[in-house]
Amino acid sequence: MNTSRTEGCTLTGALSVTTAVRDGVTVIHGPKGCAHHNFSLFHATRIDNECFSVPRIVSTGLLEDDIIFGGEEALEQTIRAVIQRRPASVYVLSTCVVETIGDDVRSVCEKIWDVPVLHIPTAGFLGGVFRTGYVNALMALSVLAKKTGDSPGVNLVGEKNLEFEVDQHFMEVSRLISLLGTDVHIRYVRDASTADIGRLGNASLNILREPALEPVGRHFESSFRTPWISSFPVGLYGTIRFLEETAEKLGAGSNAAVEEELKFQREMMERFSDLECRTVWFGEGFESSPGFPLVEELITELDMALDERGTSLTFPDPFPVGTAGISRLLHRWRRRCNA
Amino acid sequence: MPDCSNPLWPCAMTGAAACMAGFEGMGVIIHGSSGCYFYPATLLHTLLHSTFISEEDVIFGSEKRIVETIDELSPRYERLAVLLTCVPAVTGDDLKRMIGRDDVIIVDSPGFAGSFEEGYTRAVSQLPCITTGDVPGVNIDGLSLADPFCHGNAIEIERLLGKAGVRVATRFCLDRLDALGHCADNTVGANPDLQSGKGRYLGSMLGLDNIRQTVTELARYNPLDADAVCREADMAEERLAAACDKYLRRYEPPSVAVSGNFSYAVFAAGMIERYLDGAICTIASRNAVGPSPYNVVQTDDLDVITGLISSNDPDLVVGSSFERSVAPGCAFVGIIPPLRGQVRLRAQPLAGTEGALNFMEQVLNACIDRQKRK
Repeated sequence: MNTSRTEGCTLTGALSVTTAVRDGVTVIHGPKGCAHHNFSLFHATRIDNECFSVPRIVSTGLLEDDIIFGGEEALEQTIRAVIQRRPASVYVLSTCVVETIGDDVRSVCEKIWDVPVLHIPTAGFLGGVFRTGYVNALMALSVLAKKTGDSPGVNLVGEKNLEFEVDQHFMEVSRLISLLGTDVHIRYVRDASTADIGRLGNASLNILREPALEPVGRHFESSFRTPWISSFPVGLYGTIRFLEETAEKLGAGSNAAVEEELKFQREMMERFSDLECRTVWFGEGFESSPGFPLVEELITELDMALDERGTSLTFPDPFPVGTAGISRLLHRWRRRCNA
Repeated sequence: MPDCSNPLWPCAMTGAAACMAGFEGMGVIIHGSSGCYFYPATLLHTLLHSTFISEEDVIFGSEKRIVETIDELSPRYERLAVLLTCVPAVTGDDLKRMIGRDDVIIVDSPGFAGSFEEGYTRAVSQLPCITTGDVPGVNIDGLSLADPFCHGNAIEIERLLGKAGVRVATRFCLDRLDALGHCADNTVGANPDLQSGKGRYLGSMLGLDNIRQTVTELARYNPLDADAVCREADMAEERLAAACDKYLRRYEPPSVAVSGNFSYAVFAAGMIERYLDGAICTIASRNAVGPSPYNVVQTDDLDVITGLISSNDPDLVVGSSFERSVAPGCAFVGIIPPLRGQVRLRAQPLAGTEGALNFMEQVLNACIDRQKRK
């Protein structure tokens, strides 16, 4: 049986972006269950990240009659009720059942409202998978932005808000770009306000969370003329390359930053020198994983060996960000090797 | 208004999954997308399957998909149950014809059909139960894998019935599949909101008064030692009274906001009022409201619940971690899912004498902790 269709729902992907706008409200046009499933997931994830606030998700609460006669009126009423609560922006996501019955969600959103009401193309599984919703939301929210000036800072684009280490990755990228004398302009989108999003176009550079967001990078380049790099740094060499590439895009020098980071990496790796000659294994088929070169780099640097009789380790997927991420990963490897 | 802010209660499909997945030997297939599958799979902590239909299946039909899934899973299970989600229900897939087998249970449980209880009830009605009239014992119903007290309630009610000398026939819905082949004539409940409609319902085991009434009623139909259970309930009541009295010697009783499914919420309010003289300032039920001595508001809207809690400024909140999130300064006791941010490994009951003691133990500890923090 084909089990490859487990990449999640477009709704969840889009919500991972829209619920990170702290003064916005997301409307899910569909049965209540779709909103509950996602709200429950986001509630759990926020608690894991020690954030005890709740995302604002409103359901149009479609029932059998709405499915038979159409749900556009329910959507319009819901948007009107939501706007009375004075949000700075409203994001409307559609579900698969709404797509099936053919509600024209876009035209309802395009009516004249007191605050921006953006339709994010989702349509549940009929619109794609988790990543489709996530990319579509990043694209759609950018209509709130204009280029109103120039900031020396960089935007972080597409942080994975459901990732357990999301803030650790943010801190590592912030540390690295501070070596180049710059800082973060906007986290697009993590705990940002609608006004913050309005300043998206002012940054000097967009750093995308991962290469899958390249269409977003290109879109912002054409909208705001902002250059971009395609990923947060991963791996030892990748982190150095990240510094060089960021400096190049910013028109700055990178030599001092690279030298400092190489020293930091050497000191970090020395702390794990006891892993030398250890034999480890990552299970069946890991060598064909796209992340294998990053693991291989560490195995080689630490003079470790790969053998199926070695200590069984979990393959790091996704690979952690930057030098600090590698340090946390090696602590976990050492814990397993010494267990 | 049709809208609902941050809906707090699962849909009909999840209710149907909670029913079917409670039977060991039943393979549960969610006929829908991966998005519909992930939530019940994580909430119920059990193995579920899905057809993971895609856009292509909606356009060209999902027959191949459903047949392929059933063929793959048939050798692994005694029975299979297929649960319909929203889109297949709307596109009108004729599953009976597609599957072409009478032994596969089909439950029409789209999310838009209503709440968790609706789907659970629809699924229970499809269970292949056999009641011959000569099976000794009693059924337990109201057990749901979505309930944090599911396993604890089953163990506790079985213990109490055992003490009275009665064996358990079938547990709805937490049993082996073959238990459906020998259901008893009488049923007692763990959670009256999820009555199975199987057997003669004699009452619930939720709360000490209900325990006494139910076993006394059960004694009319089954030879049993009801007094043994009633004596245990009396002793539990004495322990509760002593512990609560001790609390009240030092502190004022708490004011309390309760949220829950209807029966659990009314149980919680009754226990706190009776033993701790607590002031019940608001009760919000996630599902349909039945008769009770309290004014219960039916809502699964977090904004409404936030308003109820903030306007009453309670000392103690009983509910789920949603309620805890909006009332961080209050003492908290969890009775409904989700209960995030805490480790729960034991099978804790809410029903039975141990359930009553367990609940009040948590209430007292939460209130004492809050008093100490002041």
